[in-house]
Amino acid sequence: MQLYSVSHVIRYLREVLEADSLLTDIWVSGEVSNLRESAAGHLYFTLKDETSQLRCVFFRPKLAITLENGAAVITHGHISIYEVSGALQLYVDLVQLEGVGILHLEFERLKAKLEEEGLFEPVRKRSLPLFPKRIGVVTSPTGAVFYDIASIIGRRYPLVELVLSPTLVQGDGAVDGIVQALQALNDMEDIDVVILARGGGSLEDLWAFNDEKVARAIYASKAPVISGVGHDTDFTIADFVADVRAPTPSAAAELAVPDYAELEAHIQSLTKTLLIDVTRYLDRYRQRTDELTRAASVYLGNALAISREKLRGRELELASLSPLATLSRGYALVQHSATGEVVSHIDQVQRGDAIDIKVSDGQFKGRVTGSKKGLQGWMNGFPSKKH
Amino acid sequence: MDERLSFEEALKRLEKIVHALQGGGLTLEQAIALFEDGMGLAKTCNERLNAAELKITQLQADFEPEPEHKDE
Repeated sequence: MQLYSVSHVIRYLREVLEADSLLTDIWVSGEVSNLRESAAGHLYFTLKDETSQLRCVFFRPKLAITLENGAAVITHGHISIYEVSGALQLYVDLVQLEGVGILHLEFERLKAKLEEEGLFEPVRKRSLPLFPKRIGVVTSPTGAVFYDIASIIGRRYPLVELVLSPTLVQGDGAVDGIVQALQALNDMEDIDVVILARGGGSLEDLWAFNDEKVARAIYASKAPVISGVGHDTDFTIADFVADVRAPTPSAAAELAVPDYAELEAHIQSLTKTLLIDVTRYLDRYRQRTDELTRAASVYLGNALAISREKLRGRELELASLSPLATLSRGYALVQHSATGEVVSHIDQVQRGDAIDIKVSDGQFKGRVTGSKKGLQGWMNGFPSKKH
Repeated sequence: MDERLSFEEALKRLEKIVHALQGGGLTLEQAIALFEDGMGLAKTCNERLNAAELKITQLQADFEPEPEHKDE
């Protein structure tokens, strides 16, 4: 036998209570009594029903309602023991007047909690791949939902592989099933996007999609998750955590893949653009060739005209320089018979030299019989043009 | 054209070629070569689309699926 101290027992009780999964996350309904507010602003009260009572404490209460003695309420919190007094109490974190559905309350509570943790942050939302190759689908293998998803994707974009990760989607085991199904896809390397889907149903039917474990499994997914749960009007926690929320399973399938008809149109328009562009190139180079040809012929024409002009100039020049023109004006060309040297200075000849004389229409021979330097006595104004 | 080119790769290349052609500054030979490549890629894209058939695989799950849910 072992003897325990009081504090030992209380601590043990506390550990037991706080390890219990029901007691750490529990909803309790009852009537408020002994309500009292401490100086620090904490609320102390007792919840009671026909037969029993439960002490409650609500630290730093955030209340949308006014709490009064006698009010019928629903509370949420965890049950533990206050070691100082050994009192068992409910540590309340949420109070709502009865009459509001408990599922609704749980939904709001979890939503607020996860939102505060940042699970819904817009910056965290990943964009969907444009051309996925493998799409994971978490849904029931037996319902119409998977069939619908497969037929929509098969019609829109059959280039993918669908990987069905089957699970129950309602009732006992649905939460664990969904978490495991998401995990199984997450363990695969090459899943590009995950569709989490379930057909329409009541709030209770869709309840697994409002579970915290499911929310965290979605958050943990490597691949972006598209939620398609229930109808357009149904919002689940899964929708808030998912990267993309689709209003229905069919819409989720449509969001997951591009559309075949759109792709065909896209390719067609690209082909058309190709044709237009290559034609533009051909036209441009054709025009350039034309321009160059024209420029070349203009240049050639100019060059010919210039050459012709030059030629004509030279002809005229030549004509004016021709000795024949000079001879026809009465001058004569005198050459040494022996050497052919043109005689243009008096020093070139001596008496007795044989000379050849050419005039405009013939030639004759002669001999120098005398010479004299200077032109005194000859005509004044003798042409001074030197040849 | 590469036989194993995926639809996505072919489409990406096609888009790149269209972009290059629109950019200008190519020689005529380059433009025509790109055009021919582009037409080949467009053909590949269409072939891939037409030949595709949806593949479905199912992972094992350790539960006995219930006969029918109230899914729609």
